[in-house]
Amino acid sequence: MKNLAAAILGQLEKVALSYSESEGFSLVGITQPWFEEIWGKQFPTDLAGCSGYLDNFLIDAIEHWQKGDNTSLSSGPFIESVSFKSELPLEAQAISVEGHSVLVLTNLGESYEQRLELLQAARQNLLTQEQLEIEVSKRTATIREREFEISGRLIYASGFRDEETGAHIRRIGMYSAAMGKALGWSQFAIDDILSAAPMHDIGKIGIPDTILKKPGRLTTDEFVVMKNHPSIGGQILGGSDSDMIRMAAEIAECHHECWDGSGYPKGLKGDEIPIAARIVSIVDVYDALVHSRVYKPAFSEPEALAIMAEQVGSKYDPELFQVFLDNLQAMRDIRAEVVD
Amino acid sequence: MLQKKICLLGAFSVGKTSLIQRYVSSLFDDKYLTTVGVKIDKKVVELADQKMMLMIWDLAGEDDYNSLKLNHLRGASGYILVVDGTRPKSLEVALEIHRLAQEALVDAAFLIAVNKADLQDQWMLTEQDIDGLKSLGTVVLTSAKSGDNVESLFTELAMGML
Repeated sequence: MKNLAAAILGQLEKVALSYSESEGFSLVGITQPWFEEIWGKQFPTDLAGCSGYLDNFLIDAIEHWQKGDNTSLSSGPFIESVSFKSELPLEAQAISVEGHSVLVLTNLGESYEQRLELLQAARQNLLTQEQLEIEVSKRTATIREREFEISGRLIYASGFRDEETGAHIRRIGMYSAAMGKALGWSQFAIDDILSAAPMHDIGKIGIPDTILKKPGRLTTDEFVVMKNHPSIGGQILGGSDSDMIRMAAEIAECHHECWDGSGYPKGLKGDEIPIAARIVSIVDVYDALVHSRVYKPAFSEPEALAIMAEQVGSKYDPELFQVFLDNLQAMRDIRAEVVD
Repeated sequence: MLQKKICLLGAFSVGKTSLIQRYVSSLFDDKYLTTVGVKIDKKVVELADQKMMLMIWDLAGEDDYNSLKLNHLRGASGYILVVDGTRPKSLEVALEIHRLAQEALVDAAFLIAVNKADLQDQWMLTEQDIDGLKSLGTVVLTSAKSGDNVESLFTELAMGML
């Protein structure tokens, strides 16, 4: 039986070594040509220094044997140099058999090559997948750049009819992006609102000049016409597949809605109003109040905030207004950066 | 002679084996051949007034099929964290490996190799990414293909382990 066991080990390209603390390693059964090629015919009882990899594995193996664990501890594959030109893929296993500590060394041979081929193919697939992801993200970036460019041109076009300054429009985008950041939005959504918010008044291009450019107060009838600009903006921007343009449509259509449902055009209430529109309604008024217009001087920031505070809960979303107040310094920085 | 164990760590296909081959044997093969398991190479590096034997552990790259075995790091005096400049994902992996290596090897010297410098026109890492790496440690831009900075990478690490 002993011979049979040795023959089986030989057939399986395995060499077994018994280990004891006092005597070190000794061969169990027969040796193998590949084993002798690496470690010689007189196998050293002390393996230290014979193989850098085994030296390291034996620390774990001895710990494993001391535990008396019945399971096998595998080293995983390692490559051992046979000569300058040739190498062998090996694997070591520490096992306990009837109270003996045994180290089994296996020449992985062809199974290593097969494992190599499988892993090679799997990793090539992963590389291809990574390259595809990079390509998709590059193309997505290009599409978004174009979206942003087109939105910029649309805003530029509307500027020929709207009295608002380019600086005001830029600030609205930046304040809104700062709010998105404070709310923990993704960078994608932050970039979207940065470009979408400046289009909030795009619907004004559909308002007749006699009303849009009228100096002084509007009559009730004229104001009714003026109040169509959110719906017009919604129509101009609506029905898009682009997240950014969809957000712009929501903002354009809903930035005059009020938290308590008293706004226009639909009289939406609370969370029915898209969050991007609720943000823009706050930052738009803030910016308008703290800057001068032909029809009014600039309010100081405390005055502006006091005016706005009176409308929290009626016009503005109370939670968003608090976020706005918590991030006032960011808003001030934007005002300082983008001046009229 | 002074003997030190160093490990090359990083995602799969970043060029760990190629860097070692270039350094130890002055060879480079364009074909990607994956590493399974561990291979140890040796090279004597000559420093100012002494020689040091580097035991260079080439560990299989990190991916869905293989994760870093911390016991492979045992006894290492230094490591080279390899990132592929053309693959942002390799940076994410490297940062995670670095975190694990720092826990396992408290006083080990380390360098960061941003490899494939010969493909710099195709790099996907941003300047911010590189700056982020610089905030962790010394960054060396290497090319196993051209050999650029490979020798100095290992020599500098050896100096750091004295």
